[in-house]
Amino acid sequence: MTGLGDRSLGIGLLVLAVAYGWVAQQWPEPFGGAETVGPETFPTILAVVLAAGSIYLMIKPDPDAQWPLGKTALELVVSLVVLVVYALLLEPLGFVISTTLAVGTLSWRMGAPFRRAFVTGLVSAVVVFALFNYGLSLNLPAGLLEVN
Amino acid sequence: METLGFLMEGFAVALTPYNLMFALFGAFAGTLIGCLPGLGPANGVAILIPLAFALGLPPETAMILLTSVYAGAMYGGRISSILLNIPGDEPAMMTCLDGYPMAQKGRAADALAISAIASFSGGLIGTIGLIMLAPVLAKFALSFGPAEYFALFLLAFATLGGITGKNPMKTVIAATLGIMISTVGIDISTGTQRYTFGVLELYEGIDFILAIVGLFAISELLFFVESRIGGGRKKMNVGKLTLTFKELVSTIPTQLRGGILGFISGVLPGAGASLGSFISYTLEKQVLGKKGNFGEGDIRGVVAPEAGNNGASSGALVPMLTLGVPGSGTTAVLLAMLISLNITPGPLMFTQNADIVWGVIAALLIGNVLLLVLNIPLIGFFVRLLSVPPMYLLPIVTMVAFVGIYSISNSTFDLYFMVAFGAAGYFLRKLEIPVVPIILGLLLGPEMEKNLGHALVLSDGDWSVLWASTLAKSFWLVAGLSLVLPYVVGPLLRRRMNAAMKESPTSD
Repeated sequence: MTGLGDRSLGIGLLVLAVAYGWVAQQWPEPFGGAETVGPETFPTILAVVLAAGSIYLMIKPDPDAQWPLGKTALELVVSLVVLVVYALLLEPLGFVISTTLAVGTLSWRMGAPFRRAFVTGLVSAVVVFALFNYGLSLNLPAGLLEVN
Repeated sequence: METLGFLMEGFAVALTPYNLMFALFGAFAGTLIGCLPGLGPANGVAILIPLAFALGLPPETAMILLTSVYAGAMYGGRISSILLNIPGDEPAMMTCLDGYPMAQKGRAADALAISAIASFSGGLIGTIGLIMLAPVLAKFALSFGPAEYFALFLLAFATLGGITGKNPMKTVIAATLGIMISTVGIDISTGTQRYTFGVLELYEGIDFILAIVGLFAISELLFFVESRIGGGRKKMNVGKLTLTFKELVSTIPTQLRGGILGFISGVLPGAGASLGSFISYTLEKQVLGKKGNFGEGDIRGVVAPEAGNNGASSGALVPMLTLGVPGSGTTAVLLAMLISLNITPGPLMFTQNADIVWGVIAALLIGNVLLLVLNIPLIGFFVRLLSVPPMYLLPIVTMVAFVGIYSISNSTFDLYFMVAFGAAGYFLRKLEIPVVPIILGLLLGPEMEKNLGHALVLSDGDWSVLWASTLAKSFWLVAGLSLVLPYVVGPLLRRRMNAAMKESPTSD
């Protein structure tokens, strides 16, 4: 079936619109009595618009995009994992080490030779760290490399 | 001349050494951003926002920095069009038509130089237009009531896809999603918690800077990973400058026409820089007809689109500054900066924050001169940057985005949010849901709700007030038309743009 991407998106958005609209109806009436425009008015309109849009998508979907499969999809997942792990390790390991690992892994996965990738990571990490901590006096976490 | 006085004050703001330094840095960084592969203007400005914040720049300096980057990126986009036949950004597409043939004939240096000059005059004409038009429009906009504003916001969303846009319904969906995200948090007028699910971090709402950086920078990284074009491009030789003064003079009429047309299409909602450069190129071709050899490296074929797109980029600032309604991705990002600086964009800004508005306008003029001065001698440097492979560049750019976001709040919570927005941005862009309306929705959502509320309170709950006045009616009409027209005119225009691309013998 063509237009599968748009159709699935349409279903997802429709569910979102209904949930979003339903939640809006549950809020308690604001203190001081109901007015014409309550906190739920605007969200209700939005839910209706989104529902209409998602139904349109399901009826008239565009042709499908080329979705990455197999190895490319895996590379994408790896990149996302690297980013999440980077955020996770930024404070415990410190900026320089975590950045070297993150930038190095990303450029290596994008096709750079292994050593050059990590050297790029290290150099950029040190430069940015020095620039921020000494040049602009913004504190990036030093982590393991902290000296005191 | 009241305007002239304000402009002088603007110069006084922009010419302080501190601000001048940032304008210079911005112009330089902007050109870099424009010519580096995989970094569009909106993207570049978005990454710099958190940095401007973290540095604690005063509002006028922050705005001067970002507008210089914006102007610079428009200059930079042409470099890869001319040398590699690959447009650095969308508006630079038309520059390929004659720029690349010129480069093939060994006149790359001339093409780069003349396009820098054309960019300069386009930018200059656009900025002069901005100076003349903006105060008038701001005064006019003072008469808008909440209902007019509500309709105007709708108009902004409807025209965002542009006449050349593919599926207007997807723009509507994107905008709605953006506005929906903006409703998360405590409702300002009643104090009701909306969609916070008891999570403390959500009480203040979702910071749109996270969303912008995630949607632009992180999703761009993912796109590069997917397309596996990490390798660099081959180095290019620029050759020697042989441009004569006579040739330069002969292009002046083209520069004027291009700049003016570009400015007009920049101001008009939904047209934008791409259409600006397209129109000026086509007009030039028609005016000169047989006298020119367009498509084979005619110098005026380089001048027209460049003057056009730089005129348009200044023109696009008019609705952003006067109405608070941006017409393009990059101006939306600039608006985000204004809002986060606690400046309410719109007509009142011209009276309440006159120093910022006029400082920015003066900075545009200065930036243009700086860009011209930077671009001619440093062209070799920028050309060498074209061969920086994205596989090193994009991870570093992503890292800078991380640093910027982290240094705003010093918490890693925001980083997860940003990555989530990046992943969402990738999926949405794959499904051809544009991300710019999402951002505009995030930015304008609260204002839209506020104006809707005011309008309905004033009318005692009568909904028809939203389309009662003539002005509001015409906004609704234009908004409706811009959603319908793409179905009618869009395919035709796109075909003509493609045909123009194919006509040129060298675009293989």
